[in-house]
Amino acid sequence: MATTATGSDPVVAVTEQGLADEIGWVERARQADTSAFESLYRLHVDKVYGLCLRMTGNVSEAEDCTQEAFIQAWTKLSKFRGDSAFSTWLHRIAVNSVLGRMRKSRREQDRIQAVTDISPAPETMVDTGNFEDLQNAVDELPQGARHVFVLHAVYGYSHDETSDMLGIAAGTSKAQLHRAKRLLAQQLKKSGYES
Amino acid sequence: MNENQSFDEKLMQAAGALETEIAPERDLWPDIESAIARPPRRRWNIVLAQAAAVLLLIGASSGLTYLAMNARTPSATPPADNTALHYEQASFGDQYMLGPDYEDARSRLKGQLDEHLQRMSPEARVDVEKNLEAIRAAIEEISRALAYDPDNALLQELLLSTYREELSLMMKVDSVANVVMTRTDI
Repeated sequence: MATTATGSDPVVAVTEQGLADEIGWVERARQADTSAFESLYRLHVDKVYGLCLRMTGNVSEAEDCTQEAFIQAWTKLSKFRGDSAFSTWLHRIAVNSVLGRMRKSRREQDRIQAVTDISPAPETMVDTGNFEDLQNAVDELPQGARHVFVLHAVYGYSHDETSDMLGIAAGTSKAQLHRAKRLLAQQLKKSGYES
Repeated sequence: MNENQSFDEKLMQAAGALETEIAPERDLWPDIESAIARPPRRRWNIVLAQAAAVLLLIGASSGLTYLAMNARTPSATPPADNTALHYEQASFGDQYMLGPDYEDARSRLKGQLDEHLQRMSPEARVDVEKNLEAIRAAIEEISRALAYDPDNALLQELLLSTYREELSLMMKVDSVANVVMTRTDI
């Protein structure tokens, strides 16, 4: 898929032709055209699944959340006004899907890990860094910190957008990011990262 | 990367470089397609099923609670004023208002409930609180369903039954508490 970042939206990355196609597919999908909706699915599934996977850290749950997000999107298409990019709207639905499942699922409790939230982050690093284990470290973050880190640091949403999506205050989003950074510093240090 | 960059900056750069697009291991479209191809179920059917399930659960657990509580007070004296407690059927029309006697009884029992709960054993208290919570959740759920389908007689009946359940449980708590307070054989 050829992509060109639009700049204003951190997650929208489509060509002009792609954007025109997308608008057409949305219009046709609103008329209950499932083949147009399938085109929208094919265009966006990797990003939606990526978001779900990074937020849940679990392949099976990410698949379920992705499916649920697209099913919800189909039923709510009439409410999509085009005020934001379709991908942003879809991501909001996906985030809601993840949060809904997390609330229902007790599996998250099994993810409790022994990282303690005490040591300050290293100020500088002298080598080129060793972030190979970053993804694993992100997966081990507690839920709140992980969600904020994924949306803000990986997907580029602002704190306002992140907090809006997660239903928390912007200040909480900033605090969770700070916490995530400290925990990641600890985790990476354990994995051999040297400051 | 710049050697003087702070850890935070490098971390954020590394995070921003992580893949945002990940292809699922299997094609998820067939399941989505079959789900969206199904005709939508009427919302009240779902809510009705949920409400019925909740009521079954409540019935079973309140029965157990009642038995458990009675077993703890073997020489119980009948409660003094239970028979005086009358309540009217809720009047179902455009607004789902309960009768004044019912409301009075409910308010009185609710007012005494906390006090009675304090006198119960922790296990019984948790049990009663769980039951009340489930009943009140059911009342809210059924009320929401009625907002969608105001003329549904079955939902109206369910709402009434659920209110009865709540009142009945509060009466049981009240009677057990009175029995404990008036026992003379200790």
